[in-house]
Amino acid sequence: MNAQQVLTSMKEKLGSACSDDRVIERMVGVLDPKPVYDAWLTIEPAAFHDAVAFLCEAYDPHISVISGEDIGDSVALNYHFTVGWGERFGEITLSLRTVLPKSELKIPTITDVLPGAQTAEREKIEFYGIEVVGIPDDRNIFLPEDATIHPWRKDLEEETQKEVVRRVKWEARNEE
Amino acid sequence: MKNESINLEVGKCAATTYTVPVGPVHPALKEPIRFNFDLDGERIVGVDIKPGFAHRGIEYMGMKRNLVQALYLSERICGICSISHPLAFTQAVENAAGIEVPPRAQYIRTIIGELERVHSHLLWAGVGAHELGFDTLLHLTWNVREKSMDLLEELTGNRVDYAIPMFSGVRRDIPEEKAHLAYEALEYYKGLLQSMIDAFLHDKSVEMRTRNVGVLTYEQAVELCAVGPTTRASGVKKDVRQDMPYLAYADMDIKAITPEDFGTETIGDVYDMIIVRLLEVAQSIEIIEFCLENLPSGELMSIPKVPALLAALKKASGEGIGRHEAPRGEVIHYVRLEEGIEEPAAWKVKAPTYSNLMAWVPMFMGDEIADVPIIAASIDPCMCCMDRVHFADASGTQSERTKEELIRLSREKTRRMCG
Repeated sequence: MNAQQVLTSMKEKLGSACSDDRVIERMVGVLDPKPVYDAWLTIEPAAFHDAVAFLCEAYDPHISVISGEDIGDSVALNYHFTVGWGERFGEITLSLRTVLPKSELKIPTITDVLPGAQTAEREKIEFYGIEVVGIPDDRNIFLPEDATIHPWRKDLEEETQKEVVRRVKWEARNEE
Repeated sequence: MKNESINLEVGKCAATTYTVPVGPVHPALKEPIRFNFDLDGERIVGVDIKPGFAHRGIEYMGMKRNLVQALYLSERICGICSISHPLAFTQAVENAAGIEVPPRAQYIRTIIGELERVHSHLLWAGVGAHELGFDTLLHLTWNVREKSMDLLEELTGNRVDYAIPMFSGVRRDIPEEKAHLAYEALEYYKGLLQSMIDAFLHDKSVEMRTRNVGVLTYEQAVELCAVGPTTRASGVKKDVRQDMPYLAYADMDIKAITPEDFGTETIGDVYDMIIVRLLEVAQSIEIIEFCLENLPSGELMSIPKVPALLAALKKASGEGIGRHEAPRGEVIHYVRLEEGIEEPAAWKVKAPTYSNLMAWVPMFMGDEIADVPIIAASIDPCMCCMDRVHFADASGTQSERTKEELIRLSREKTRRMCG
């Protein structure tokens, strides 16, 4: 199993729903440099769950984290998986990217195929206001339980600042 | 509070469960967290975990600062892993910008990273002993730990926040006259390791309190994507240094340590976590020794001047991932750079406890309330969540239990078991 094979099998499975596939080779080590690989693939939101289900079936991945970025009209999510742990130089990183338009911030959960993704998904719900369809637990995890702000959304920054100021003032009052 | 639902399955008589919140205030260590335990008598039948009390918005702040300022911020994410985050962050930025790191700098980064593992694992072992009521062992372990802290101070100038990695290299050298101090410390640890193993792993009361307590099975560890010693204690051979080597680790034959390396059957309990951590201290000593003996000569930074470095980073665009096996497991940083801006366009940090959060649930299930301190501590030294416990009975009266009382319960259990 190598990075190119993983990407090729995913492309065969997904067809036109995926694009922008890249494998970056990096040399590591000083005495005898060897290559390691980072793979990247962009997937349409509608095909995203199928892609992860296929990945789980074929390669038994580990999910490290889901990163996100507000890019104006949409929110881009990168699901950072690693595949092939257990042997020396056996692992690659595989980052699956999907772009959700702000008019429809919705993505199906992957916790049904990979339960370890739940913490990362809950974080994306609260920080970006994304609806993760089918997640068993959608409560706030890192933000206060009653907070309704989405701090990593650039278009909602004013609300975030207001809420933070309100909470700091409330705490200061309680300390007096 | 008394739960409305009545559990008819236990002994076919109506048994009631109680919810007992533990935390969130941590008086001593870094991570406040709250556990809500559902208890059936003394047994834990459910747990809900709420982290986030120390969320400081570091990624948000980092995206409003230039990369060098963000590096200093990343060093302050964690007080114990204070080199793990900068190591992952520098690698992510270097991968994104295509910056080379000189060989000597790669080895120095590795040495400091492994010294951090030595002091962090010994810190944890002492905390674990304290939770069990074995304070003599706590003081012994922390005394032994001081040697690595002293060495870190000699090499970097600081006991924590070493400020060693910088994009394109390291900020300080390990000169010849300091290297002998490192060798001296390594000899000290080699001589003590067997007695540490005897004190922890061949002690009857430690074994009684940790064997078959807080069990995480192999399947659960894989499914819940646990990392670090938490997953390796369950027999999962997962270690970034082995799976996808980086820095000087690529020059060494490193393998993930599991309880079978100690010659015992893998159960995935707290005892196995002690095995893995103590053996990893020995492994770290070997790694440091290899790095010192093979330390390449040459420059420390490929772009030594900070203004030139900032200019190079401002021109760079691209995205990169940096990973490091921190003492508690995999740290991963994702960075995207955009040409023309000094700040990272996107920055995501993942610390090991983030991945191990969900693994706590199966570990607590079925164990007793007196085992809470050692199970909470087993994954990461954040047992300070034991600060206070509220007990509430059906009439609505509340009583509060402090961390001290909870530790007293744990110690009484040790005494009971020792007869």
